[in-house]
Amino acid sequence: MTAVEPRSEASVRASKRTEVLENRPVNLDGFVEEWPEKGLVAMESDFDPQPSVRVEDGRIVELDGRTREQFDFMDTFIADHAIDVDTTEAAMATESVEIARMLVDPRTPRAEIVALGRGLTPAKILDVVKLMNVVEIMMGIQKTRSRRTPANQAHSTSAKDNPIQVAADAAEGAVRGFAELETTLGVVRYAPLVAIGLQVGGQVGRGGVLTQCALEEATELDLGMRGITAYAETISIYGTESVFVDGDDTPWSKAFLASAYASRGIKMRFTSGTGSEVQMGNAEGRSMLYLEIRCILMAKGAGVQGLQNGSISCIGVPGAVPGGIRAVAAENLVASWMDLECASGNDQSFSHSAMRRTSRLLPQMLPGTDFVCSGYSAVPNKDNMFAGSNLDTEDYDDWNTIQRDMQVDGGLRHVREDVILQVRNKAARALQAVFAELDLPAITDEEVEAATYADSSDDYPDRDVLADLEGARSVMERGVTGLDLVKVLERTGFGDVAENYLQVLRQRVSGDLLQTAAIFTGDFVPLAAINDANDYAGPGTGYRLSGERWEELKKLRHVTSAENPEEEVV
Amino acid sequence: MTSDVTELTPADYPLSINRPELLHTPTGKALADITMAAVVSGEVTNEDLRVTPDTLVMQGRIAESMGRRQLGENCRRAAEMTAIPDEEVLAMYNALRPNASSAEKLEEIAARLEGTYSATTCAALVREAAQVYAARNLLAEED
Repeated sequence: MTAVEPRSEASVRASKRTEVLENRPVNLDGFVEEWPEKGLVAMESDFDPQPSVRVEDGRIVELDGRTREQFDFMDTFIADHAIDVDTTEAAMATESVEIARMLVDPRTPRAEIVALGRGLTPAKILDVVKLMNVVEIMMGIQKTRSRRTPANQAHSTSAKDNPIQVAADAAEGAVRGFAELETTLGVVRYAPLVAIGLQVGGQVGRGGVLTQCALEEATELDLGMRGITAYAETISIYGTESVFVDGDDTPWSKAFLASAYASRGIKMRFTSGTGSEVQMGNAEGRSMLYLEIRCILMAKGAGVQGLQNGSISCIGVPGAVPGGIRAVAAENLVASWMDLECASGNDQSFSHSAMRRTSRLLPQMLPGTDFVCSGYSAVPNKDNMFAGSNLDTEDYDDWNTIQRDMQVDGGLRHVREDVILQVRNKAARALQAVFAELDLPAITDEEVEAATYADSSDDYPDRDVLADLEGARSVMERGVTGLDLVKVLERTGFGDVAENYLQVLRQRVSGDLLQTAAIFTGDFVPLAAINDANDYAGPGTGYRLSGERWEELKKLRHVTSAENPEEEVV
Repeated sequence: MTSDVTELTPADYPLSINRPELLHTPTGKALADITMAAVVSGEVTNEDLRVTPDTLVMQGRIAESMGRRQLGENCRRAAEMTAIPDEEVLAMYNALRPNASSAEKLEEIAARLEGTYSATTCAALVREAAQVYAARNLLAEED
């Protein structure tokens, strides 16, 4: 909807060409002029502070033009927790252009630029990335991303909060290659059943898949502690004090929460993104990227291993202003450069234009990030309860083709139909068994059959929602744990699923998944930015798509045989 | 704690594969004891599927050896928090939200962290929060 009349008057005759262009999907997108005074500007604003730092008696007493008495709580937290007091004055004395070149130049090792970054203030970091064009930003991401092997994360949700759908789509997502699966709810009280569906389904497709359920902070932690989910991500932080407080948190409450998760052995990352502050009406006249850099440093200061950023649910805001998508790529670069795991967005409906959706994706997909999407919709977008993603199930073959065209690893692969049907069916049957054993409202054979062949929630028989909600309540009241689910799966003949689930829970004892950018291989080997640290140092180094994995990615739904052009390769 | 714990390096990661002998559950079982058979027989309970303070300290050291000072600190706070029951951890988190607690209440929490749980770094974080909240007008009115 537009609040103003379109400029062209109806009485003025438009050309046929204009009519064609008017009807292009891109013209359904919203675009707006910059308004720097209100923070409606991507990354180039006269209202952002100038970089500065001053240290006295081992303490930062001035940060980006403000003295300690003038600090808001973000300044205080960043000065006291994020920035290296010992190195900051030397780091800040380095010319911004020199730092920008170090980010791009493959001969500067990642470790060196990361070490230098530890001493920089938010305004200085902004000053550096402002010098970089989008290709240079991608070069920087390629080098600074923490894990060597890129990965991907999916959303598995249901417009009807149908746990069987979530389980089947989780299983398909797992077998297609997602390392992490995330769900959320329409009706929050459904959470226990949907989280169980996601967890059970996610262990069917392959081993090593981690799951989470995005909820209010305290509930999310509760499900994690019970072992019904394996990690958490929806721990939102904001770049201004006023918006942070509106979100009912502070850097200290969030830092405490980060430790709470780690104390239970549960992987966790924060979430932030450009545009959230201006969308919530209090950007305090700063650019979107400046505020996001404050978030990144706050996350680093809290000692959380990673961050989901790249505008996330606010992508419409940077997407509407000039240079906004460049700024989104820049925030992923800064998160990576600050040595955090980066789950890099591409997770929200963004444009009506297929071309624009793709171009928005390339700055993350081509260099590779720790999670290229922090929510590729593994359900049709109409079932996506995160309000739709930049990519959904319809785009699977396109994604696989782009991987093959560009020889880049976006974390997914083409999977044969028979394999997909098999894992979807098995996920639904496993959940059927779990529901039966836990005295939850029965899952019928008809529902299992529907799950095997379904696309969207429309393809499933309707559930008795009230009975399900009662069941969900009883799961929480009875204190059902992940271990209970493992036992049920083992008892009901789903031993391999039970074993996969137990392996995920067992990792809590080792704490291995608490390290930066940790995921599992299919064989439950933890891969983190330690044993799989990014070693990119120019052409011929770092992660290269080759060998068995490249052979896997050469496969598509339809590839003609070289030997017999009448046949397709299976 | 064994002496080699202080010498952990990135080469020891992942501990579950390279140094399983250093790992144990809160009830003293080895990682290898967490088997399906033990789960089914009830020998392994939910209490076993938790990380110990020792393990968190070890992971913190590995993080620090990678130059990740803050992640190391987070692991140390987490090590202290393992002793605190789930509900109380959640209650403390809620008390740290803006305008949720008076200065006295936050000091009470800090003292409890220190006294009951020997959680000195956690207590320091809460006291620091109390100071900043006072300066930024984020404390609750006295009740």
